[in-house]
Amino acid sequence: MHAVEINNVAKSFGPVKAVVDVSFDVNRGEIFGMLGPNGAGKTTTIRLLLDIFKPDHGSVSILDGPMCEAKKNRIGYMPEERGLYQDAPLERCLTYLGTLKGLSKTEAQNRLEPYLERFDLAQHKQKKVKELSKGMQQKAQIINTLLHEPELIIIDEPFTALDPLNTQLVKDVMRELRDRGTAILMSTHQMHQVEELCDRIVLIDEGRDVLYGPLDDIRRRYTGHAVLVRVDGELPEIEGVEEVAPHNNSVRLTLASDVSPQQVLQDLMAKNVTLEKFEIALPTLDEIFIRVVEEGES
Amino acid sequence: MSKLWLIAKDEFRRNVYKKSFILALLSVPLMLAFNVGIGLIVDNLQKDSTPIGYVDHSGLLDQPISVSDPSDAVPILAFESEETARESLQAEEIQAYYVLSADYLTTSNVELFYLEEPAYNATSQWNNFLQFNLLADYPPQIAQRLIEGTRMTIRSPGGNIEMPAGGPTLGSMLPLFTSVAFVFLLLFSSGYLMTGVIEEKENRTIEVIVTSVSTTDLVVGKVLGIVAISLTQLATWILIAVLTIAVGGDALGLTWFQDISVDWLAIIKVLVIALPCYVFAAGLMFTLGSTLTEAQEGQAVGSLFFILHMLPLYMIVMIIENPLGIQTTLLGILPFTALLSTGLRSIFTDLPFWQIALSAAVQTISAIGALWLASRSFRLGMLRYGQRLHIRELFRREPSLAKRSSS
Repeated sequence: MHAVEINNVAKSFGPVKAVVDVSFDVNRGEIFGMLGPNGAGKTTTIRLLLDIFKPDHGSVSILDGPMCEAKKNRIGYMPEERGLYQDAPLERCLTYLGTLKGLSKTEAQNRLEPYLERFDLAQHKQKKVKELSKGMQQKAQIINTLLHEPELIIIDEPFTALDPLNTQLVKDVMRELRDRGTAILMSTHQMHQVEELCDRIVLIDEGRDVLYGPLDDIRRRYTGHAVLVRVDGELPEIEGVEEVAPHNNSVRLTLASDVSPQQVLQDLMAKNVTLEKFEIALPTLDEIFIRVVEEGES
Repeated sequence: MSKLWLIAKDEFRRNVYKKSFILALLSVPLMLAFNVGIGLIVDNLQKDSTPIGYVDHSGLLDQPISVSDPSDAVPILAFESEETARESLQAEEIQAYYVLSADYLTTSNVELFYLEEPAYNATSQWNNFLQFNLLADYPPQIAQRLIEGTRMTIRSPGGNIEMPAGGPTLGSMLPLFTSVAFVFLLLFSSGYLMTGVIEEKENRTIEVIVTSVSTTDLVVGKVLGIVAISLTQLATWILIAVLTIAVGGDALGLTWFQDISVDWLAIIKVLVIALPCYVFAAGLMFTLGSTLTEAQEGQAVGSLFFILHMLPLYMIVMIIENPLGIQTTLLGILPFTALLSTGLRSIFTDLPFWQIALSAAVQTISAIGALWLASRSFRLGMLRYGQRLHIRELFRREPSLAKRSSS
C-alpha cells in the first residue's frame, strides 16, 4: 500500500480554484518531489492531504486510509515558513510540540538531545526561537518534524536558509529516513535538490498535475534530439546536424529527426576527431519545469 | 496527559509569564491601593484638629455638655466675648467661631466667623455639640439616639436581602463586584485568546499544531487555559485584598472591611452565570481570532463586546426601580447582559431560583454554541492568510465525506 494516495482532488475557495485535479501517490521508503511554480496549488494539496482542508471532490488516502486523529502522531509536517513559537526557548518549544505528537515529556527530551547535537543547536537550546538565525530556525523545524519518528514526512522547502554544510546534513538525514522505510513528500523549488534526492516527482501547475512519474522517465520524455560534444580542436561539419549551439564547455548539436546519435558518433570517428565528451543531452529538471510551465501558459 | 490538557497547560503557561499579564494582574490591586491611598490623604487633608470657638449670648451653653467624641475630636472652646474670639481667630488659635444670638432659642440664628472655611469634621462636631446641648433635658441615650437618627434596614420579602436605608452595604455589593470582576477578567483574558490565535495564524504555528491535535482539543484546550488564567487573576486579587485587610486593615483605616457580611448564595448565583458567560465570550473571541486577519482589527471588534457587556449599567435606573420586571429579567437571561445585570439585581432583590436556572441554561447553551462556532471558524478560516472569512461561510454545509470519496 502507498503511504499517500491522492486521486482527482479539487478544492476551491469561493471563486478561486486552488486545486483543480491532482492525483499522485507516494511509496514507503521513497523521497517524492512535489514541484510547481508559486501559486500552483502545492500547499493547498498538502493541506488537503493533512485534512486541514476538506476537498470538494476526489479522495485522499494517507497511511492506508482516510486521515484521522490517530494518524496525526504518525505524520511529520514542516510548513514552508516558521511554525515555531517565537517567544519560547528552543528546547521547551520542541519538547512541547513533541508531546503534542504523542511523546511523553521525558521521551521528547531524551530524543531531542541527540538531534540538537547533530544539528549543532545544543548550545542554543535555552535561547528563544526568535533569537536564532533563520538557518537555525529551519533546522529546529526539521527536528520538530522528525522528533516523533513519523512514518510519513511532509516537508515544504526543507533547504530554505540552509548553508551548503547544513543542506548536506539535511539530505543525509532524509536519505537515512528513506532507507529506514519512511515516506517523504518534499515540496520545493530547488530543482537540483530534487534531482539529487527524489526518485519520482509530480509537477503541479494551475491546480493540475501536469507531469508525474519517475524522474528518469520524465527526463527521457523531454530529451531533445540532441547530443553534447566536446572535441580537441575544431569541430568539423557533420551531416544531419540542424543546429550547433555552445553549452557550458561543450557544444549542443540538435539532430535532424532521421539522424541518430550513433550516426553522429560514427561520423566524428570517421573524421578522426579526438572526442573529449560525447553524451545524449538530457534536459535538467529546471529546463523541463520551465518548458512545461511555459507550455501550460501558452 | 491528553492533548487537550497539554494545550490548556501551555496556553496558561505562555500567558502567565507575559509582561502584559503580570501588569494586568498587578494593575487592579495597585489601582485600588492608589485610590484608597489618595482617598485617605484627601480625607486627612480635609480634616483639621485646630479648636473651634463659640460665643453664646443665649445662655444655652452656660453649662455645656460634651459629646463623647472620637480621639480625633476638635476641641470646642467657649469665649466670653466676640472680641476675644476674634483675637484668637486672628492669632490662628482657632479655625472658626460661632456666635449664638440672644434670641437663638426662638430664631435659631447662629453666625459663623472664619479666615478660611473650617474643616468638615469641625463643623459637623459643632452641630452635634449644639444639638446635644439643645436636648440636655432628655436622658443622654435619648439625646444620642435623636442625633444619630433612625438606623433602618430594608429587607426583601424572603428576608435574604437586607440593605440600610442609606444605601447598599459593601457586603450586599459583593455579587455586583463579582460580576464586574468577571466582566473585566473576561475582556482581559479573552483578548489574550483572540490575539494569541491571530498571532499563531500569522506566524504559522497553528499549521503545525493543527496537524498534531484535533480542532476540538485545540479550541477547548485554549479556552480552558484562558479560564485558568482568569481564575488565577481573580484568586490573586482576592488574596491580595484579604491579606491587605487582615494585615494592614488597621493602619490603612480599612477596619470596616473586616465586618463585611457575605451573602454566599448571591455570589454563587452570580458565579453559576459567570462561568458559562466566560466560556461564551472566550468562544466568540476565538472565533474573531480565526476569522480576522489582524490583531488590531480584532481589538476593535472586541471593544464592541465590552459595550454589550456593560449595557446593564446604562439601564441601572430601570434595574433599581424594578429589579424583577420583565425587561430587567430579560437582561438577566440574555447572553452578554446576563452577567452584569444579575450582579446588579442581586443587590436590590432576592433573585428567584428559576431565573438563575434559566439564565445559567441559556448561558451554557450559548457557550456550547460559541465553542462550536469557534471550532468551525477555526477550521475554515485558520489558514486563509490575509483573507477574511465571511459569516455566511461559517454556516454553509461542508462537502460530505461520502461525496468526496465517491467523486
